[in-house]
Amino acid sequence: MRPRSFIYAKPGEWGGYLWRFIASWWYVFHLGAIALVMAFSPTTYNRDNRIATSRHIYNSTWQVLPWFTLLAALVSLVLIRIVVVTAISYGLSAYALEMVVRVLVLELIPLTAAMFVALRAGLAFNAGDALALAAAAKTGAQNRLRQDLVPQVVANAFAVLSLAMVSSVIVLVLAYISVYGLSPWGVADYTRTVGRIFNPAVTIGFVLKTVFFGLSVAVIPSAAILEQHRYGIAPSSTVQPGAVRLLFVLLVIEAASLAVKYI
Amino acid sequence: MSEKEDDAPAEPVQHVEIKAVILLVLMSALIVTFLLYVMYARGVFETTQRLVLVSDDSEGVIPGMDMTFSGFPIGRVQRVELAPDGKARILVDVPKKDAKWLRVSSVFTMERGMVGDTKIKAFSGILTDAPLDDGAVRDVLRGDTAAEIPRLVASARALLENLDTMTRSGSDLNTSFANINAATSRLTGKYGVLGGALGSDDEAKKLLQTLARVDTLLLKADQRIFGKQGVMDDAQAAMRQLNVVLQDASASLKKVDLVLAEAQAVGANARVATKDLASLRGEVDASLRKVTRLIDEINRKWPFARDTELKLP
Repeated sequence: MRPRSFIYAKPGEWGGYLWRFIASWWYVFHLGAIALVMAFSPTTYNRDNRIATSRHIYNSTWQVLPWFTLLAALVSLVLIRIVVVTAISYGLSAYALEMVVRVLVLELIPLTAAMFVALRAGLAFNAGDALALAAAAKTGAQNRLRQDLVPQVVANAFAVLSLAMVSSVIVLVLAYISVYGLSPWGVADYTRTVGRIFNPAVTIGFVLKTVFFGLSVAVIPSAAILEQHRYGIAPSSTVQPGAVRLLFVLLVIEAASLAVKYI
Repeated sequence: MSEKEDDAPAEPVQHVEIKAVILLVLMSALIVTFLLYVMYARGVFETTQRLVLVSDDSEGVIPGMDMTFSGFPIGRVQRVELAPDGKARILVDVPKKDAKWLRVSSVFTMERGMVGDTKIKAFSGILTDAPLDDGAVRDVLRGDTAAEIPRLVASARALLENLDTMTRSGSDLNTSFANINAATSRLTGKYGVLGGALGSDDEAKKLLQTLARVDTLLLKADQRIFGKQGVMDDAQAAMRQLNVVLQDASASLKKVDLVLAEAQAVGANARVATKDLASLRGEVDASLRKVTRLIDEINRKWPFARDTELKLP
């Protein structure tokens, strides 16, 4: 059993730690690549796998979409009101809409959706067949991976994308209603503002960020659990396996997206 | 929860495949609609015409920002580039439907406010002019609030220094105010405006005393002049006497007039007499000459005459 933390290791063990660290990350990327390739392979989607994928999509998206959208709309409405009222009190109402769209639609909603799906995915993946899956990954039993891993990965990625997109559209509508009311005469102005915000770089960045969020959420927790079973590593804490790593990756993606957009 | 998830595969969900497909289709539709909306918002589907604005500084101009006309966005900056002559060329796309607001006489300005981004505005004074051509190149007038600030600060500093000089203790303004204060305090004093005008209450007091004396004097003078047995009564009596004297004088003058008329007549007679006198003298002269000649004659004839001188009477 390895020590709980890197800082307790002796200098002679640092090499081993580094190797394990790199190997662990490599396993994540490797598994992610395998899952991605299988997800895009038509042979994956035989009848059984289609049903499995459908079931996972149903579980990860269909069941949570209404509740998540409702909650996101409520929280967003509060934030939109705060921003709009504050902006009006400072005489900067012209910039309120842009700020709302930039902060909520581009940054907060995708991140929230990713976190939400990650939480659910981690809970769902503590299934009994994780051990078998780990063995399959080790021996390269592709059918087993196709049957169990790929549908889950696809479903989680799809869930992040769906939740983020639906909530974003709802927030766009709420922002319009908050600023212009139910009048249709603000549509041209609003469309222009949206057009100004979503320049090609921002749009591509938004889509890429959401896709990467989805992939991270789908792959990292699965990889962490499989890795534990594969090497027979006992969990170092009660924290969901891969949670810290997932959080780190999500923050790196978010930071990179912000840096590309605003620096 | 975990147990429930474990059991999930065992429970067949109704139409799970159809639901998944519906979700997939809806999400795809949503994403495609969103992308189309963003493209529409970016003006991808509009036919546009190009307008090139030339400025010596393109600071704050970013692709995607609006050009407004009367507050309405009618164009969008597509690109900003540096021309070979070192000036900034701002390439603006104006939708064909909004291009009617731009005329050959239109003026374009670029403003930078304290807060917010740069604004490009178009002004068309004469909307009956010919429309602006596609690809037209126009100079843009710049109004930079930030550039004005140093000048404003310099002016404000000079103003504040002047103000400081004016309000410093012992300054002219302060002295003037002190004087005004003293004057107004005198105005509100016992003798009011009079004290202020004369400089001190003592002077005002003297003036008032003088006025009181003058008043008394006038009262007395009134009594003496217009009162009983005053000067005016005497004057009236004198006037009456004078009137009588004048009437007498008038009568005397009439008499004098008569005398003069008589004298005039006398004069006229005298003039006639004088005229007669001249002729009389001529006659006397002639008689005398005749007498002279006669005596001369007698003397010639009178031999015994010793004395030839003839004495006239």
